[in-house]
Amino acid sequence: MRSGALKFLSSPVFWLIFAAAVTMPLWLSPYYLGVATIALFYIGLALAWNIVAGIGGQMSLGHSVFVGVGGLLSSALLLKLGINMWLGMVIAAAISAALGAFIAWLDFRFRLSHLSFALITLAFAEMGQLAAVGSEFLGGASGLFLPPDHGSLLNFEFGGQRGNFYLLFTASLVCLIANLVILNTPLGYYLRAMRDNENAAQAIGVALLRNKIIAMMISAALTSIMGTAYARYSGFVDPYQFAAPHVTVEVVLFATIGGLGTVLGPLVGAGFLVVFGEIVRGQLGGVLPGLHFFIDGVLIIVVILLMPRGVVSKIAEWWDRRHAAAPENPKIIAETATRT
Amino acid sequence: MDDILVQALIQGLLIGATYGFIALGLGIIYSVSGVINFSHGDFVTLGMFLCYSLWSVLSLDPYISIAITLPVFIVIGAVLYRYLIQPIVGVHMLMIIQLTLGVSFILQNGLLMIFGGQPLRTPSAFEAKLLFVTDSVILRLTLVVAFVVSLILACVLYWLLNRTDFGRSVRAIHQNPRAAALMGINVTAVRTITFAAGFGILAIAAGLLLPGTPAHPGMGLRYTVITLMVIILGGMTNFFGIVLGGFLIGVSEAIGTVYVSGIMGMMMPYAIFVLMLLFRPQGILRRAS
Repeated sequence: MRSGALKFLSSPVFWLIFAAAVTMPLWLSPYYLGVATIALFYIGLALAWNIVAGIGGQMSLGHSVFVGVGGLLSSALLLKLGINMWLGMVIAAAISAALGAFIAWLDFRFRLSHLSFALITLAFAEMGQLAAVGSEFLGGASGLFLPPDHGSLLNFEFGGQRGNFYLLFTASLVCLIANLVILNTPLGYYLRAMRDNENAAQAIGVALLRNKIIAMMISAALTSIMGTAYARYSGFVDPYQFAAPHVTVEVVLFATIGGLGTVLGPLVGAGFLVVFGEIVRGQLGGVLPGLHFFIDGVLIIVVILLMPRGVVSKIAEWWDRRHAAAPENPKIIAETATRT
Repeated sequence: MDDILVQALIQGLLIGATYGFIALGLGIIYSVSGVINFSHGDFVTLGMFLCYSLWSVLSLDPYISIAITLPVFIVIGAVLYRYLIQPIVGVHMLMIIQLTLGVSFILQNGLLMIFGGQPLRTPSAFEAKLLFVTDSVILRLTLVVAFVVSLILACVLYWLLNRTDFGRSVRAIHQNPRAAALMGINVTAVRTITFAAGFGILAIAAGLLLPGTPAHPGMGLRYTVITLMVIILGGMTNFFGIVLGGFLIGVSEAIGTVYVSGIMGMMMPYAIFVLMLLFRPQGILRRAS
């Protein structure tokens, strides 16, 4: 899939989509530009989560903590202590990375099973939300309002909707590049080796602790940065929007439907489903609240049962089969075998 | 002051029996198929809403509704296992977590679409009845009913697991599925039956918990987390451990709401949960059986 992704990234189709995305503020109505901005937030989160869960095979349900730190802490630092939000973003990302390193260390130290890891991170997520609700400094249950956007770049203000779109666009692009870089450097190979068989990876000399910590720190810092960026877009932060475990569960569903472990899977999954969900919510939200989540739930079951490697892999296989001279692509078959 | 403590203790023990009972359902499912159902709590919510519908349409008491919801849940459990879970058992643990999270999404939002987001109350014959233990220690009769029924059914389950051929095949599969299959046990059938039984437990528990509890579509995750805490305290598959874990969670919840205020009190169960998973994954009782 990796080479497929690179091929796709160098293809004119990708650059056409990229150009369309960059110029979105010029041709989209304000409402749909908002939808696109929210989609970019989830794309970034899904890609950041993909580093740990998709490439590394560690099913973290605690990433909402990092979104919360990024969104709530940077806002609180600005409002309560007057710390510039650029610096606040860096501080929040550093704290998230430290928390991530701690979780990765726990995972290594206690040799947690996949299930225990998921449960522990879920417990951290619940504790994180409770801590945010109870913390006066972070705004508590009532949340915090960011100061109005005057368009001063030095103060992390980007001049309204278009600027915020580009902010989220850049942040999720960073997540995309991070995924591509990791997949093509030794770290990506180590992580995939650990995902497929941890004992075997250790036996051939992969440093488990080091790689787990690095992957989790990168993922946590990127997630935190997405949180800060989204806080600026939203203008209002509260624990239910930023630190709720539900945020992670949504990201898990989006990324899995798209296809874990690949770059395009989480990207396409989150992008498509958020836009679809927002439109359904806009049209039918008053009559049938929750319909888009209901459909997401049905989709993930269908995807897991029928195409466990995600929709994008399925499409890529079909694409390859149509365009390759050979009917069977041996690389895909080999990769299917290792994934399952 | 002492009366408050006694009241909290008794109330915690009563509710804890039902928690333990729900967790036994998850525990036996886990012991034979290694599946953790992240939609467990959402099925409790579904059971509550079924009872609510039966009350609003036929004005049935929740306790009587159990006679209808129980067979429905047994069928749901069996179908869910055969057609959704079984195809991916053994593929990857993550897939099962994601799939059951998807089921949880469907239930939660399906209920939201049908019933709306308002908490709904279902009256019951016993709802208003109170039991006076002493002058100041007062208990709701519904809690006592839930306690007694849960404990009796837990005893029945124990008898089933330890004194019948079906129970022996369950324990055999828990020890070694392949060897069990070689001994002529139909592994798929036993796993399907345990799933059905685990869901039947949820239908009963939903009916028992409903009187006095307002039902809300979003409350499922809380029950799932409580159940997970109980079975982890109990050591995943240890019968007595799980029952004891239910009592511990029930009592700590009741005492916590009385004595510990603020977020530290609310975070306590999760902190205990994390520490247990790290330092005593085999549960509070040492022997894992």
